[in-house]
Amino acid sequence: MTVLILTSEEDVTADMVVSRLHETGIPVMRLDPADLPGKAVLSAEYAHGDFDGHLSVNGHVLSMRGLRSVWVRRPGEPAAHAAHPSPWLTAETGQALFGTLHSASTRWMNHPRNAEQARLKPWQLRVAHLSGFAVPPTVFTTAPRVAQQFTEEHRSVVVKSASGPPRDDPALALPTTLIGPDTDFSAVAAGPALLQRYIPKRADIRLTCVGDRLFAARKTAEPGQVDGRYGDTEHTWEAVPAPERIGKSVHEYVALAGLAYAAFDFAEDEDGIWWFLECNQGGQFGFVELETGQPISEAVARWLSPRKTDRRVTGSHW
Amino acid sequence: MRPFTLNYTLPKGLPTVVMPYRFDTSRQLNVLPNGRPAVSDRDLLLAAGTTTSTAGSQTHFDD
Repeated sequence: MTVLILTSEEDVTADMVVSRLHETGIPVMRLDPADLPGKAVLSAEYAHGDFDGHLSVNGHVLSMRGLRSVWVRRPGEPAAHAAHPSPWLTAETGQALFGTLHSASTRWMNHPRNAEQARLKPWQLRVAHLSGFAVPPTVFTTAPRVAQQFTEEHRSVVVKSASGPPRDDPALALPTTLIGPDTDFSAVAAGPALLQRYIPKRADIRLTCVGDRLFAARKTAEPGQVDGRYGDTEHTWEAVPAPERIGKSVHEYVALAGLAYAAFDFAEDEDGIWWFLECNQGGQFGFVELETGQPISEAVARWLSPRKTDRRVTGSHW
Repeated sequence: MRPFTLNYTLPKGLPTVVMPYRFDTSRQLNVLPNGRPAVSDRDLLLAAGTTTSTAGSQTHFDD
């Protein structure tokens, strides 16, 4: 039975897991939905109450009946590499591929339905609160007056994007940025703003959850540092134990969200409290493993490996 | 009017270095010119930044 990894060819973090699966002799197919149709071929026939068919790419063939698990890692948009791409072709191809895969008896990391919900930043804060995390006061608003009042109340506030930098301009970054009450908030009316009370931190924490295994890593922050993803410092990621209380909250969060994999970001304040910032259901782990030596790729490969199939999909309990 | 959040974008240096590995369709992973998997070269991957939390942010917002 085969592990299906949906990701792009240039994804070297996925390579880390592919390499682990090769070591254990577990068959794997790596497919980028962007290559369908074209380099990849799909056929699935509904007969006798079930789908039977196959996927193939680069000489590798996967029978739908031999599907062990699916890892949705960094897939391209369906049909993005087609000779004549279009929104319609993307929709049709997505229906064919994901509609068929959703019908298969397999386990998902993560199921697309749960992943879609888990990406919603406002929802994340609510689930984080229910899970027992400390969550900074936050506002999402298109009202300039509300943004002004929030900033006057909390004084030190960060603005950040809920969906990442603009995707149509790869030359732009959008780091979390500290702002003050003297900011001109009039442009808030032109697009939702995500404002959050700034947590002065002594470290960034990245906690990667794979099934029930936790890998916490800590990186000391520079004084006044806001977004640890940008700007080089002399500090590196170091493995740290996850406090028991945090571990319980992480398990509660992934259970509520129906996630098999999640990467949590925390800010550690001067009192040692880990403040929940966000949970990335498909967050990167390669840089953490490379710097700390934590066996995250091995944990992912192990999670994907069992033969057990179950038609019931773990759902979000929210 | 430009959305408020976009007032805080910064120019990002685009990578100018060509990665010294290529995708091997048979092994289904990226390999170095000597045939070894790219993941065997930890220093190269760290220098390339292709496994960091901002890698792929333009197409995926799951950092």
